Amino acid sequence: MSLLNKLGMGHGARDVARPAPERLSNTGSRSTQVPPTAVGSTRVPEPQGTTNRVSNGLKEFLWNLDGLGRGTLLDLGAAWQTTLSFFIERGFRVTSEDLLRAWKDFLVKEEGEIRQATRTPDSLDVTPAGRADRFLRSNLEYPVASFDAVLLWDLLDYLEPAMATKTVLALTELLRPGGVLLAMFHSKKPEGFQRYRVADSSTLQMISAPVLCPAQRVYQNREIQDLFGRYRTMKSFVARDQLRETLFIK
Amino acid sequence: MWKKEESKNQSVPEVAQASGTPANSPAPAASFRDLPAAPAPSRGAATISQGIRIKGEITGSEDLFIDGLVEGRLNLANGSVTVGPNGTVKADVSAREVIIRGKVDGKVAGRDRVQLWGTAQVHGEVQTDRLAIEDGAILRGKVEAGKPVERSAAERSATVGPNGKTGNVSVGPGTVTI
Repeated sequence: MSLLNKLGMGHGARDVARPAPERLSNTGSRSTQVPPTAVGSTRVPEPQGTTNRVSNGLKEFLWNLDGLGRGTLLDLGAAWQTTLSFFIERGFRVTSEDLLRAWKDFLVKEEGEIRQATRTPDSLDVTPAGRADRFLRSNLEYPVASFDAVLLWDLLDYLEPAMATKTVLALTELLRPGGVLLAMFHSKKPEGFQRYRVADSSTLQMISAPVLCPAQRVYQNREIQDLFGRYRTMKSFVARDQLRETLFIK
Repeated sequence: MWKKEESKNQSVPEVAQASGTPANSPAPAASFRDLPAAPAPSRGAATISQGIRIKGEITGSEDLFIDGLVEGRLNLANGSVTVGPNGTVKADVSAREVIIRGKVDGKVAGRDRVQLWGTAQVHGEVQTDRLAIEDGAILRGKVEAGKPVERSAAERSATVGPNGKTGNVSVGPGTVTI
């Protein structure tokens, strides 16, 4: 079984292959197959499959950044105009890196290379930890303590556990002492996939998007604490939709 | 800072200023609100028309409109680069302003502003002070937007949270149900 199949991303996996992004129709409406990196806030109505969510986690996140002045933010979701605008207007330098898409692209590329036998399996560490190491060697490349805040969204649910652990470690290095990180965790395996963007200081917009990687794991509170053991503060907000928003302060 | 801003309508971004942003004030985010319906070659701009293919390095200080194919390197330090809907650029692009309606494969650096129109397809890193991205644009790569932040070493090594407010945050794991 191929690596992608093991991760639920092979042929037959639901809606994994990214289709050519659908363009706006003449009527201005669009399907739920919103290109994940497509962004914007003007000209067209909100994409279908967009829901607003009052976010106490975001409020707390912003409250902790209050008074920081000009800061640096790392957004690990897709680049959305509204999110960029929100933070840039407040003086932030925003770095946006679509980590999950990069992970998916990495897995697809690696799978292709293995199939073509350009790299012998003997020379390649095919364990999840080895994969994660190879991925992180070319991603999340920033100076230590270069960010005041990180928006991790719910990415950890979609990464292999080994990859999730190493990602958190890498982010901990990138976050300066006192920096804040906002993550989300599903209480049960999500069926679909959503992107998040900041609508205002207390509202997130959740946008349905094609599944990039199926959810890999549901984290319990104890596992989350272990994962973020190097952070001195953790505060969770559980909403009615059972999506936990958790704020970590390094 | 945040609480003051809450009174604003966040869904309506401020209009991007053309110039004159004070160094210490946040750079307003760019927006498509005030843009013309579609960028066209500005008067006096050099044009690489559809069907023209150029390989190599392009430098200068004038504006450039590309509707053809360019491979190599583009550096118009004080100029504006517009990639038209038929344009394809396989190069690192560096200019004062970069407007993209076509395809770009490479690093895009716009000193003042980068605009990605709905038809834009960018594979590569984008660096700019102000970034406007229209619905439908495809962006695959890292984005760095906003004024560069310079902070003193003392601030960086601070171990308390920003603004010293962490004392109000619960210590240790806690759960609040709403």
